Amino acid sequence: MHRFFAPQARRRPALLPVTAILALFLTSCSGAAIEPTEQFDSFGEVLSAADGQTVDLWMFGGDAKGNAYVDETLAPAVREQGITLRRVPIADTPDALNRVLSELQAGRDDGSVDLVWANGPTFSTGRQAGAWRCGWTDLLPNMQFTDPDDPLLLDDFGAPVDGCEAPWHKAQFTFFYNSDAIADPPTSLQGILDWAEANPGRFTYPGPPDFTGSVFLREVMVSAAGGADQVPLTYSEQAFDDHAPAALQALRDLAPSLWREGDTYPRDEQALNTLFANGEVDIAMTYGPATLTELVASGALPPSTKVLTLEEGTVGNASFLALPVNAADAAGAMVVANIALSPEQQAAKADLDMWGQFTVLDTELLSPAQQSLFERLPESPIVPDYEELSRNTHGELAAEWVPALDEAWRQDIASAP
Amino acid sequence: MTSRMTPGTGHAALLALPAVLPIVVVLAVSLVAAALQSLGLMPFIGPPQLSGDAWTGDVQTLVRSGLASVYIASISTVLSLAVGFVLAAYVLTMPRMGRLVETLSAATIPIPHLIGAGAIGLLLSDSGFLDRLLGMPDSFPALVAGPGFLAVIAEYAWKESAFVALVVLGSISRSVGDLCDAAATLGATAGQRILRVVLPLAVPSLAISAVIVFVYTLGSYEAAWLLGPVSPEPLPVRAVRLFGSVDLAARPQAMATALVTVAVSAVAILAVVFLLRRFRSLR
Repeated sequence: MHRFFAPQARRRPALLPVTAILALFLTSCSGAAIEPTEQFDSFGEVLSAADGQTVDLWMFGGDAKGNAYVDETLAPAVREQGITLRRVPIADTPDALNRVLSELQAGRDDGSVDLVWANGPTFSTGRQAGAWRCGWTDLLPNMQFTDPDDPLLLDDFGAPVDGCEAPWHKAQFTFFYNSDAIADPPTSLQGILDWAEANPGRFTYPGPPDFTGSVFLREVMVSAAGGADQVPLTYSEQAFDDHAPAALQALRDLAPSLWREGDTYPRDEQALNTLFANGEVDIAMTYGPATLTELVASGALPPSTKVLTLEEGTVGNASFLALPVNAADAAGAMVVANIALSPEQQAAKADLDMWGQFTVLDTELLSPAQQSLFERLPESPIVPDYEELSRNTHGELAAEWVPALDEAWRQDIASAP
Repeated sequence: MTSRMTPGTGHAALLALPAVLPIVVVLAVSLVAAALQSLGLMPFIGPPQLSGDAWTGDVQTLVRSGLASVYIASISTVLSLAVGFVLAAYVLTMPRMGRLVETLSAATIPIPHLIGAGAIGLLLSDSGFLDRLLGMPDSFPALVAGPGFLAVIAEYAWKESAFVALVVLGSISRSVGDLCDAAATLGATAGQRILRVVLPLAVPSLAISAVIVFVYTLGSYEAAWLLGPVSPEPLPVRAVRLFGSVDLAARPQAMATALVTVAVSAVAILAVVFLLRRFRSLR
């Protein structure tokens, strides 16, 4: 024993200076601000710089149809421009930002992340840290097909987009129910909560900070406040104190009537879907209603699944492709974002058999030939079209609301004895 | 200690250098970086500023997480040791069936914990395989995501008991045969042979595997995340959640949580090293 420990004990003093040097080295890197190395004045310059580049698109890898769309439809279209598109699957969108931030911290200006399918909170965190390249989407020719006044494209979770990310598709928060179990479904969020109380154990929601559970929490807050126009979009402690307690109280009162008496919550949307498919709960929710058609067709959800639209509407958002400030293949990434915005790609992506994501384009700005691409799309037997889903929709609150509410939920509800 | 420092050991130390140096460097860099981040000296935005907020800001939750982790690791370790030792004793006493059990245990080892956790989830969750086998009783206990982390402990105990059995077998199978024969000749019963011969011989390897299992389960993330309840959170689950949080200010807390895990593990390792020395000097 002694013999084994002796050499290490002898070397230990040498460790101190080593760690001290490392500490110096590491601290000296922190907070280094990196400017994009290449600047472009026109899309022509972008195209010529992009030739031969390999673009790494980091995106949530848990959606098989999304993966297939990128690999089999978007990537070949990009290749025609001489660019290779490589999809990097990640478990959760913040992972991509984490990588960017770590590389920025290490002072790398040839970052390995070229494009991120970002969600609102990730985008806003990245903006806070200066991780995104800004003002580049004006260069993209296909931006002309988007409505310049579309509120969903101007703000992403309350953070101004400012050309720091290119729109990709729209999403609408949607509830769905089992029509075999519920003959007369509720028509408002308050109605859903009342239904849950009247039917103990038949409803639950994913525990925040899961993305879907977090949205539900905000929807309850908006509903408890009396509508989307009652809650200020920008976060302040005052606004939080005005509106969060009512939502938390409502959920605390509801907890005993939830699945497993609210002792625990499903981990994420997939876990909730499993409960729904096993007939343990009768109402579930998703921010990606387009997936429902496929989930029912494949048998992952029962055929009696029906979409539940609310009178007061639900929250909607657009998701974007963001370009890290230190991306090694920035020009290529811009070309990819432009192709992804083209009417052909947007229509292909909106096809339910392909991915079923709602387009960010304003179809009235398209030529008749381009419009017909969208008109030819098949209709889903389960999901109504975007017009109906997004009726009375409201935008997302500012991203600062998200961690504040999630943490309050964890303290007040999940940790309650 | 110095009297044992023969030229031979210097040579041995030199030989070990390629293995030890990377470990020391990697450990030192990551621990120092984690400590600096937890103290606010390596921020993503803004100037570095010394702050203990990440440590003191939410002590109550940190302690709750620590207790949850120590609870999971302790119960899993005790169960793995008990089951692992019984497995080893069985293999030693039953030559033919023992071989089969040994092979089965060895086959458990290469299964990744994530796959193991997934399988346990399918087996034990409500409306899982076991529930269906029993005809979906209403009283089926909440093993997965329920209080007490029962499914998490089951996963660790299953995987790690096989590990313990193999470590014990590997370390004593050579010496134990003759000693057991001698004890048997002197009239010891099977029970006496296991308690008086096999167990004392196995204590060092049991202690070493106990600390390995404890430290592993304390720092392991997948099973606790997949099979545990939303709250309380074990340390690694909390650390990963905070690390991935969209709130950059949560990063120092993630590092503090990770360092608490390291500290608890270090205490466990030192305790076992100390106990082993005492045990050896007693003999």
